[in-house]
Amino acid sequence: MPPLMGIEFLCRVSDVLSDYLGGLNEDVIKDNFVIVYELLDEMIDNGFPLTTEPNILREMIAPPNIVSKVLSVVTGNSSNVSDTLPGATGSCIPWRAADPKYANNEVYVDLVEEMDTVINRDGVLVKCEIYGEVRVNSHLSGLPDLTLSFANPSILDDVRFHPCVRFRPWESHQILSFVPPDGEFKLMSYRVKKLKSTPIYVKPQLSSDAGKWCVNVLVGLRNDHGKTIDSITLQFQLPPCVLSADLTSNTGTVNVLGNKTCSWSIGRIPKDKTPSLSGTLEFESELERLNVFPTFRVGFKIMGVALSGVQIDKLDLKSTPSRLYKGFRALTQAGEFEVRS
Amino acid sequence: MFPQFGATADTLSKASTMVFRIGTDAHLYDDPDDVSIAPLLDSKFDSEKCEALKRLLALIAQGIDVSNYFPQVVKNVASQSLEVKKLVYLYLLHYAEKRPNEALLSINYFQKDLGDTNPLVRAWALRTMAGIRLHVIAPLVLVAVGKCARDPSVYVRKSAANALPKLHDLRQEEHALAIEEIVGLLLNDHSPAVVGAAAAAFASVCPYNLSLIGWNYTKLCEILPDVEEWGQIALIGILLRYVIARHGLVKESIMFSLQCTESSHSVKDGSYVDFGKVKESTDMGGTCDYEFVNMVSRCYIEGPDEYLSRSSYANRESFELTCEQFTSGKSNDDVKILLYSTSPLLWSNNSAVVLAAAGVHWVMAPKEDVKRIIKPLLFLLRSSNASKYVVLCNIQVFAKAMPSLFAPYYEDFFICSSESYQVKALKLEILSSIATDSSISSIFREFQDYIRDPDRRFAADTIAAIGLCAKRLPKMAHICVDGLLALTREEFVTKDSEFGDQEAGILTQAIISIKSIIKEDPRSHDKVIIQLVRSLDSIKVPAARAIIIWMVGEYNSLGELIPRILNTVLKYLAWCFTSEALETKLQILNTVCKVLVSASEEDLCTFKKIFSYLVELAECDLNYDVRDRSRFLKKLPSSNLVFIGQEERTNDLPEKDLCVVAECILGRQTRKVKAESFSYRFYLPGSLSQIVLHAAPGYEPLPKPCSLFVDDLNVPEGTSEIKKRMAEHSVTDDYGTSSDRSDDESASDYDSQRSITESSGSGRGDDSEFTSEGNDNADPLIQISDISNAYENQNGVSQSSAANLGELMSDRALESWLDEQPGSSNPGISEQSDIRTSSARISLGDVEKRVKPKCYSLLDPATSGNGLKVDYSFSSEISSISHLLVCIEAYFKNCSSETISEITLVDEESDRTLDAEEKAADVNESLLASSNNVPTLVPMESIASLEPGQTSRRILQVRFHHHLLPLKLALYCDGKKLPIKLRPDIGYFVKPLPMDVEAFINKESRLPGMFEYTRSCAFTAHIEELDKENGDSLFVKDKFLAICESLALKMLSNANLCLVSVDMPVAANLDDASGLRLRFSSEILSSSTPCLITITVEGKCSDPLNLSVKVNCEETVFGLNLLSRIANFLVEPTLF
Repeated sequence: MPPLMGIEFLCRVSDVLSDYLGGLNEDVIKDNFVIVYELLDEMIDNGFPLTTEPNILREMIAPPNIVSKVLSVVTGNSSNVSDTLPGATGSCIPWRAADPKYANNEVYVDLVEEMDTVINRDGVLVKCEIYGEVRVNSHLSGLPDLTLSFANPSILDDVRFHPCVRFRPWESHQILSFVPPDGEFKLMSYRVKKLKSTPIYVKPQLSSDAGKWCVNVLVGLRNDHGKTIDSITLQFQLPPCVLSADLTSNTGTVNVLGNKTCSWSIGRIPKDKTPSLSGTLEFESELERLNVFPTFRVGFKIMGVALSGVQIDKLDLKSTPSRLYKGFRALTQAGEFEVRS
Repeated sequence: MFPQFGATADTLSKASTMVFRIGTDAHLYDDPDDVSIAPLLDSKFDSEKCEALKRLLALIAQGIDVSNYFPQVVKNVASQSLEVKKLVYLYLLHYAEKRPNEALLSINYFQKDLGDTNPLVRAWALRTMAGIRLHVIAPLVLVAVGKCARDPSVYVRKSAANALPKLHDLRQEEHALAIEEIVGLLLNDHSPAVVGAAAAAFASVCPYNLSLIGWNYTKLCEILPDVEEWGQIALIGILLRYVIARHGLVKESIMFSLQCTESSHSVKDGSYVDFGKVKESTDMGGTCDYEFVNMVSRCYIEGPDEYLSRSSYANRESFELTCEQFTSGKSNDDVKILLYSTSPLLWSNNSAVVLAAAGVHWVMAPKEDVKRIIKPLLFLLRSSNASKYVVLCNIQVFAKAMPSLFAPYYEDFFICSSESYQVKALKLEILSSIATDSSISSIFREFQDYIRDPDRRFAADTIAAIGLCAKRLPKMAHICVDGLLALTREEFVTKDSEFGDQEAGILTQAIISIKSIIKEDPRSHDKVIIQLVRSLDSIKVPAARAIIIWMVGEYNSLGELIPRILNTVLKYLAWCFTSEALETKLQILNTVCKVLVSASEEDLCTFKKIFSYLVELAECDLNYDVRDRSRFLKKLPSSNLVFIGQEERTNDLPEKDLCVVAECILGRQTRKVKAESFSYRFYLPGSLSQIVLHAAPGYEPLPKPCSLFVDDLNVPEGTSEIKKRMAEHSVTDDYGTSSDRSDDESASDYDSQRSITESSGSGRGDDSEFTSEGNDNADPLIQISDISNAYENQNGVSQSSAANLGELMSDRALESWLDEQPGSSNPGISEQSDIRTSSARISLGDVEKRVKPKCYSLLDPATSGNGLKVDYSFSSEISSISHLLVCIEAYFKNCSSETISEITLVDEESDRTLDAEEKAADVNESLLASSNNVPTLVPMESIASLEPGQTSRRILQVRFHHHLLPLKLALYCDGKKLPIKLRPDIGYFVKPLPMDVEAFINKESRLPGMFEYTRSCAFTAHIEELDKENGDSLFVKDKFLAICESLALKMLSNANLCLVSVDMPVAANLDDASGLRLRFSSEILSSSTPCLITITVEGKCSDPLNLSVKVNCEETVFGLNLLSRIANFLVEPTLF
């Protein structure tokens, strides 16, 4: 078996289990061991994946939820194994449950982007790219056929699709044509490379002053795109030879954990001042120079904007039902955002 | 302070967790056996059973062996609740291999479930049944898989495909063909889901049977994008193998470029043209490492082990790929369609699919198109560390073979601090192999950052990578060396002791890198060596010092400057020798020798002094290695090594030779070793072997190009041949594939309406010809033009012979019987059945009297019996002791001239000294009570003496326990022991069960589907009979009756059955015996389970007849065995 197949399958198992159990840890698995057994039995057989499509699994084995829990307590009957074969197993679109019905037809499209950035020691932007996902939450009756197109598909460096996306329309016209699964799913992921700037800057400085090392980190907004930046965090690993660190900041809180990880959560950047972290490090012995420098990992979240600039042009439903609500959202957050010092 | 508070808090927290855990199975897990499980299992409520099973599951999860509940759990397979079923299946699969005998008990329930109308139940039953890996049930599973492979539900067909590898794992040769046929069938399925599973089955069952793929290659390619992702992975690999085997490699691909560069010189003008083309495309696609690619492609095709082992015999090229083994990707449709259908998969969400598709393009795509795999591959890098590593391992090979592909994307290999060390190391290696003149500066800037990384091992690797880059790009060598020198200076300024080994490692690595750069071009770097030597004083790391000292010795005569400083350096080394570490000491000794060998006259004296000083020091060293080295060097005489004071320079030949030796060992500059060591092993992209770098179990290189010939693929011929083989196979096997197919026709439609009519059809019994072959359905319908005529005809014939042999039912009885047919909702079927019922029922009165059980020889007087002859035949008597015993009549005959005394027959194992009667009682008890199922013999009454010529008859009673292997017995006579073997006959494991036709049909209708086994065989015994009668004209028997008689006789003399009825066909053609049907009934001795046998005749009276034997029995294993026994003895010639 190809190793990637095994890894990919394990990822699916963990996705499905955490989807069912609302988390994945030893206790949760123990508490729901029957469901875990049943799920694994459906998902793999003789070392080959069987049914990994969450929609079908959910129809075969009911996820534990409040209603079923209460029901089972009340009636004492707790079968979560479906008696019938989900219709989708046989269809050409196994991801879609057979014929759901909704009073309101709704589709929500979210652009969720993660920014991977590397800023090197000289403050030069070495790498800045966006990894984005188009997440769709669809509640549509019947067998809807959707098309989604981007205003600027050319900026997408590479893409990967959910199995529901038809390849050929994308090949020819860069149009996503698909029959969506019911509920929430990841329609596609994309990559946009070589961005020119980051929304925030981080300027770390380490200087030695008579055997003492001073740390000074400044964080600020680089350009204003009209949206507020939330939950800014900064994390870095102190060099192993550090004995103690005395760090303070003018906004937010600073924590130094036992494993010499320092985390500074800033939250929102205040209007009036530039957040800064400063302090001194004490080493085991006096050093004239440091040969190991920490890397600062930055986290942030910006609602309402896709920094890559990807824009959804339109979303159409073939054979339009009476009413269709469409919603679009965007979100950018930091992925592997690293600033070296 | 207040313990009670603590307690309350404890209970409170417990209570709160309870709230969250309500409705989960947590309480079952925490305390699985707080109630006794056994009564719950036997409960009649599904919910209680469910709870019990969950408790068992919890115990299994906690590693407790609960296999002792097996029998109780297995019973619950029959439950109607799907949850109970599911839990039982989980339990069953966990313990089936441990308790095979009990697992067999569940088979019947599975068989029943396989006929369920709910496809989910069918699929689960099949999956679980195949999961019980027992050889005994393999034939049953095969039959079940065969049926399910034709199931109307996609899910069930998919399950059938998934069951095939399990069946294959049992390694039963006789089933291999049948399994392959089912794989072929499923690959041809129209549903993508089934094709995917079938592809996976193909890959594990018969990966070499590529002709199976050939038949529907195009269809498979077209369906590929719709196949589910896991199946895609398998299917992509199979299609690639097929194309290689069928068409060979593609001329325009990377794999080809090399072959021609090698062979073009020797091969004719045709390939020269190709070569030119290849050159062009190379220029287009950038450089690629020919030698490397050559090796890669050969490894793909031959497997590295084979390839590399051959290299040692220096006939690496013996496997020459000729140009005929290549095809053009531009003109070959199969190649084009494969590339076309795999290219969209590069966008798949599943990384394994992407990598598999990329592998196809890597091997098959024209060079200029290979670049399309790069972006998808790089996109895969944004995933978990584990898959990142796998992808990078594959990219590494691609990048080494064709650096130009990845060169523009160097930024993607820049390293994140959060990555694991393995990933970082791979990325460094790739970066150093794809660096170009334009990208090297940014790569170096990155490297500088990496050197400051907290992970010092990674930092050391970075320094090694700098060395590699400098080697690849000689222009950069100076910059690299300068950078590294600066680094060493920095490093030795810091006090290494504080940072321990890791910093030392970095310094050493820096020096090693410098050394390797210098080795490339020593002349331009002599100043570097001097700088390093100067820093010797501050570099404390022994390994680093040793390398620097080695460099001094190695390049001692290089350039102008080095020879001048040698004097000082050697003095310095001699001075610090005692304080050095081991490796440095050894290196100092070597270096001084090297210097001495190539020293010029003026310094010779000093060097000699230093050398002798060092040797003396070293001889007293604590370390034996150093002492040895010094002794060795001292004894190695050389013109320059000769000690002072030994003035007389003899020109003796041996001494001269030794000088040469010394020169050879020490004096020569080390030759340039090939930069890249070619010991790499390459495996197919995406395979596990490529990650672990040795052939993992199950790894197969690509097939030999063009090893699959067009002849193999002649579609119709091939299929028919396979079919033919299958048919032959089915005759020799336990069950007929052809009859399977007909069964499937009737069973394939699970639509409820049809199944009702079907069951009513089988209730009517023989008349509705659902289960027989399709072709004979039509024949009588057309041939019988006037039904009443046919009746008369038949009646006349029968009456003529009635007086003699048979008693024909009256017309009225026949008609009333016809009227009894239940009305069918399907007019077509009822009409058909009306016509088909044109048969008459007769009874054969005296057949039973003529039954002569077959006699077998137990002991031959001539060979081993000392004149005692023992024959035996199975008797139809019922044992008086127990219904489990089979009676056997044994005839003892004395053929010798002397009296034989004391004849007894006992089990080989049992003790003879016991008193026979006592033992009999004893054994009876034990053999009836014990569950020990070894065949046992009730000891027979011994024969005191047997006169010459006298025959004595004894009844043996044996409990066979359904064992079909010969039973070993010991015969004692005259005090001698003779081993004999008694062969059981399954035909006598049953006893007659008298019943009338209605009861028979009624019973038969209750044993449909999986409890019904059919097989066909030929019958010839009647021909003899007919011939005999032709001569004897007085006594003209009806042909049909003769056939019936011989058939019945044959059956009854070989098995203990009861003849229920004989149905005569009413056909226009007097010679056509088709439709003749005999029914026999019996019940199994041990379990009293009814066992019904129906034989339907087909064919012409005077020709060998085609019999279709059907057994309906609840015990499947027994039924199948009985069926094959019947089929066997029907074919045997009769001995009258």
